[in-house]
Parts: sequence; structure tokens; C-alpha cells
Amino acid sequence: MESLGDEPWDVVICGTGLQQSLLALALSRSKKRILHTDPNDYYGQNEAALTLQDAESFAAKHAGGASSEADEKSVIRNAAVWKPDDAEAQGLKFPRAYSLALAPQIIHTKSKLLSSLVSSRAYRQVEFLAVGSFFVYEPAKDGSDPKLSRIPSSREDVFSSQSIPARSKRSLMKFLKFVLDFESDEQKPIWEGHADAPLTDFLTAQFKLEDDLKRYVVALTMALDGKASVRSGLAAINRHLTSMGTFGPGFCAVYPKWGGLSEIAQVACRAGAVGGGIYMLDTSATVKPSGETEKASLELPNNITVETSSIISGQETTTGVQAISRLVAVVKSPLSSLFQVLVEGAPTPAVAVVALPSTPSPIYALVHSSDTGECPVGQCVVYLTTLATTDSKHGLEQALTMLIKAVEGEESTASCLYQLYYQQAIGDRKSTTENHGTTPAFSFPPLSATLAFEDTDLEAVKTAWSLVLGDESDEETYLVFEDREGADAEDEVYE
Amino acid sequence: MADSAGAPRPSSSVKLVLLGEAAVGKSSLVLRFVNNDFQENKEPTIGAAFLTQKCNLPTRTIKFEIWDTAGQERFASLAPMYYRNAQAALVVYDLTKPTSLIKAKHWVAELQRQASPGIVIALVGNKLDLTNASAAAGGNSEDEDEESSGAAGGDGGDESGDARKISTEEAKTYAEEESLLFFETSAKTGHNVSEVFTAIANAIPETSLKSTRGPGASNAVSRGGDEQRVNLTGPRGDAAKDSCAC
Repeated sequence: MESLGDEPWDVVICGTGLQQSLLALALSRSKKRILHTDPNDYYGQNEAALTLQDAESFAAKHAGGASSEADEKSVIRNAAVWKPDDAEAQGLKFPRAYSLALAPQIIHTKSKLLSSLVSSRAYRQVEFLAVGSFFVYEPAKDGSDPKLSRIPSSREDVFSSQSIPARSKRSLMKFLKFVLDFESDEQKPIWEGHADAPLTDFLTAQFKLEDDLKRYVVALTMALDGKASVRSGLAAINRHLTSMGTFGPGFCAVYPKWGGLSEIAQVACRAGAVGGGIYMLDTSATVKPSGETEKASLELPNNITVETSSIISGQETTTGVQAISRLVAVVKSPLSSLFQVLVEGAPTPAVAVVALPSTPSPIYALVHSSDTGECPVGQCVVYLTTLATTDSKHGLEQALTMLIKAVEGEESTASCLYQLYYQQAIGDRKSTTENHGTTPAFSFPPLSATLAFEDTDLEAVKTAWSLVLGDESDEETYLVFEDREGADAEDEVYE
Repeated sequence: MADSAGAPRPSSSVKLVLLGEAAVGKSSLVLRFVNNDFQENKEPTIGAAFLTQKCNLPTRTIKFEIWDTAGQERFASLAPMYYRNAQAALVVYDLTKPTSLIKAKHWVAELQRQASPGIVIALVGNKLDLTNASAAAGGNSEDEDEESSGAAGGDGGDESGDARKISTEEAKTYAEEESLLFFETSAKTGHNVSEVFTAIANAIPETSLKSTRGPGASNAVSRGGDEQRVNLTGPRGDAAKDSCAC
């Protein structure tokens, strides 16, 4: 075994969360000596994709709740897994047949994350699937059963919709046209005065949208508190609309097959390894006290001590009080009607988004078909999210039942085969830098606890990159790489 | 072996992953196969994402996309994405180093757990040039390969200068139990190297080779294949840049 401790490292990256992994990718052509460790025996940390076995150890590790002060501050808490006693008899397959994503964020097609993966050539190893329809849950009324209404997602879609009365269509069209260039000098005066007011009031006042349509628009903002402001709401709807059609008809966002951001973290780490980085899972690194004029050293298991010129890690505790509750459920039904191709030439969607009304805040469900590789054929994985309250676990479980019945009818026998529940703190989203001796130690904030990937989460990666490279950092080369030898995709292909 | 004349044969991409203990010669085997080259005292692998090499069979062409471990095997840190969709695996051990076969068995078990059910696994004992068999094998024509490999097992390797620690019989028996292809090779002399890849190519079931981009093709995102895949760089990526849904 090579001696890790002989020469000082240029950088030790602790943790393989998305941001640390993207940093490893960004540094993969830099000739820096990089040691990349993770305390878990899997990649991805809070963005990992877990087998059922991993989920159990994850739940055990993060089971702590409000009882102790330390747990109260940890980013992941109150975790628990559940399955029916006869889960296997009902159809639960072996643990590795599942890949439950801790970060099931959809990625809008215009996201910088995608363009960075393309410019760094890392995208070749990721399979992207389309995110399809967005739905709103309609409770039972006038004797009709509860159902899911599909939100029309483009102007053609609104135009051809049968369910919207002609007059409402005109108002909605007017609104959509406005959103498309809401930041122009012409449109700004219309909303700037109300920028921080609730979007829903603005929709009534300016566009006279009826309640049903307002619910559609608010659902599309994917704001977890259900109370998007005019500014943030318009930005979210604009992103939704302008992302449509970028990579093909009928979808505005993509999802990496096999477990979402986990897959991107793994691919980025592989790029780090190909560039010469040394990878050690199941290895925790702790900083040893050092003199003021010395480099910091880190202690690894088996009494190995390494010196390093910089340390990069992720914040595992947070001062934020607000948290989200997540319920990941394996359901014994494909819920196929959620994954229909609605536009000619569109790829078969693998993800559907459902907004369910709930108090005090709405519940969102991201439903993943087995095409995501996260569960066996014939099943699906539902990721439910809401703002955490004392009762949110119960609320999420109820929402799951409502969702299944709305898709399959009241008589549905589709049962839940497995559940992973946890809460995730919404941090203050600021990176921190401190010094250990002469060694700067940079710490990534937790990823935004949102349903769609936020490009602002990429900023800290670039900050860390500049910190590690110092004078050598050249913005032009940030995540812009040539293909490595042998990775020629387009050489001769016989048809 | 290339035949530029005549109708092109159907071509399929196959993802092949390398596994095995550090320094058993994984990269060297691939280097021999792809470039017909060998480097003495090669540094641990850096910079090789993957290499491609075609293998021409009588009725079709197999294009291997060979993924190297990039050193992530050293501290048992290979990611699930490495095994994913691999249609073939080369599990390499050093036949002068007993622990490396134990490690190889561990990788075979790992593949059977993590990889696609139909994966073709070849167990390869490398560094045959360090055994007595090398005297016979190294300088001889390819026709006698089978014989010299077989003879090595029979000899038991007691004579001086023979560094062999794992008998052909032992590894072969294990390979048969687990339904693995089995070869002893020397990346240094090139002995049996192309045979390994040809045997793998022949063992890949026709059914898993439907499209020019097999289901395991790492870069299949760029071409057809599954209808649900999204292409991030195709013509749409540029053409649609300025347009929107409306």
C-alpha cells in the first residue's frame, strides 16, 4: 500500500457530496495532488443514492431528533425506515434493486450544471431522462372522485387544452407572454412595485386569473411554502417556460438516471481519479491542531497522518431552524398514467411532478418510474417533500395515499413496500473559510433544499476552485476540458 | 485484420470494465491489446478514462469501450456507475501473487452482485512471462498457446526461476465453477492477450447487441439507443438555443 503520508497534499477534499465532487472534476486537469475521502462507504453524502441496505444505515446514523442539541443542529435528522412485515411477499425485491435518491432535484435544461458537465466532457457518462408532466391534485367535489389535473406547460398546450374555458385561456396566454420577458424594460414597471408581494395576489390584480389557473401557476413555482413572491415566482415560471424544448420537445428539465445528483457526483469523482486523485471511501479525516506557521495535518484511520496545503469539506451542522421533511416511498404500481408522451417526438418521461394542497404548506411529490433505474419494473419511487412541522411525517404519508388513489382510483390496491423518512435542514447557504496554521479550510454549505437544482449552489464550487489554485486559476479554463484520449464518441459507426 | 473491402459488418459497442488488485497488469493488458505495446515499470494508472478498440469477428465487429479503474480500486472506492451496464469484465490476477487471486474472487462476487445479470466475465492470470511456461510460450507461435498454458499447470512450478504461485488447475477450476472465461496471459510478451478479447467478443450474446450503440455504451447519450434518453449536445442543443416553447 502506498504511503499516503510521505508528501504533503495540495488539497484534501473531505466528503463526496455534489459540490465537493464537482470541485474534484474542476481540479482534475490541474496537476494538483489531491486526496479525496468520504466517511461513508458510498459516494454522494447528502446527495447519495442508497440501496435499501444503505438506507437502513443512513437512517440509523441520522435517527437523532430534537432530543439532543447536537442532533438538532445536524443537517439530516429524524431519519427512519419502515416496511410492512410481509414486504418481500408483497413484491419488495433485494436491497440492491433499489437506488433511493437523497437529492432527487430535477435539473432545468438551461441549468449551468448541465452546460458545465458538457464543457468538462463529464456528461458522456451520465444518462439523462426527461421530466414530463406537472400535475395538481384536485380533491373530490360534486360527487366526482379526486383526480390529478395536468398543468398545461406551453402556449400551444394552453391553446389545445379542453379543460380551460376560452375567456380564461386569454388571460392565461396574456400572463405567459408577460412572463417570457418579464425582465424587459417594458414589463418591469408592471411588477417591480409589487416584487415582494405574494404572486397569487398579483395574478388576480394584473391578469384576473381564476382560482384554478392560479393554482396551476403557483404549483409551477415549486415554492415549498406555497407563497412565492412576485419576483421569485415570475423567475421560476420564466425558467420553466424558457427551458421547454431546449433538448427536445415536451420537457423543461432532465433527471440523471440511477439516482439523480448522486450519479453526477460519481462521474465527477471518477474524473478526479482519472486525473490522478486518490479516492478513499469509508475514511474519516480529522484536523489535528497545528502551529501557526505550519501546514495543517489531517488524521486518517490506522494512525495515518497527512499534511495538506488546503482542506475542503462540507458543513454537517447548521444554525438554520427551518427544515424540510422528505418521505421516499417505494410503491407497488408503475403509476403509468403519469408518464405519458404528450408531444410527438418527445422522449418517454421518467419523472412526474405532483403538487398536493396541504396546510400549512403544500406537499410536492416527484414520482419516478422504473426507467430511472431506482426500482424494479412494475414499481415506482415517490419522493414527497414539504416544510417540516411536528406533524409533517403524517401529512406526507396521507399525501402518498391520496396520490395513489387519485391515479389508480379508490379501489387501488397499490401498496407502499418501503419508506425512508428524514428531515433536512435548510441552512443559511453560506460557505465558510477558516485557517488551521497556514492551511485554509473551506466548507461548502448544504445544497439548497429545493425541488429543482439551483444554479446558485454552483457558486461555492468556483470559490473553492479559486482558493485551491490561487494565482494559477484562469477563469477561462474553469470546467472547460478536451475529451481525454479514447473518448471519441463520433468516430465511424456502421449503421 | 481490417477488411476495408466488402459490405461493412454490423458493429456494436460493448462496455468492458477492468478489475483486479493494484499492479497485476490491468492497464498493461489493455495497452497490449489496443496499441500492441508494453511499458516496463509502468506507473499506476493516471489519465486513462477509457480506451476503445475494435475486435473483428467473422459476422460482426465489436467495439470495446474499455474502462480502467483509474486507481479507484486501490482503497475499494469504485463507484456503482463503474459497473453499470458493463457487458463484459476482465478480472485480472497476478499468477505469481496468491493474494491477487483472492482479490479477484472478491471482484467476481462484487460483479455478480452489482453488474447486469448477463455480464461476460473473463478471469485472467497475468505475468505468465515470469513462469517457466514463458520459455515455451514466449518464443512460440500462437498455435501452441493452448498447449503451453496446459503444460504449465501440469508442471506444478517447482523448478528454479519459476515465480508461479497459482497453478493453472486451481484458477481454472474456480473459473469453471463460476462460469467464467479463463486465460493465462503475458502483457509483456503479448501471449494470449488478443485471444482474451476475441473470446469475450464471441461470448457476448447476440441479443444484447441490437443497436450500434449497445445498452451499455457509455456515450450512448449522443446517439439514439433508448427512446427515453435525452441528448445534451445534439443539433437541438444548438438550434433551439434562442427559441423557447412558444
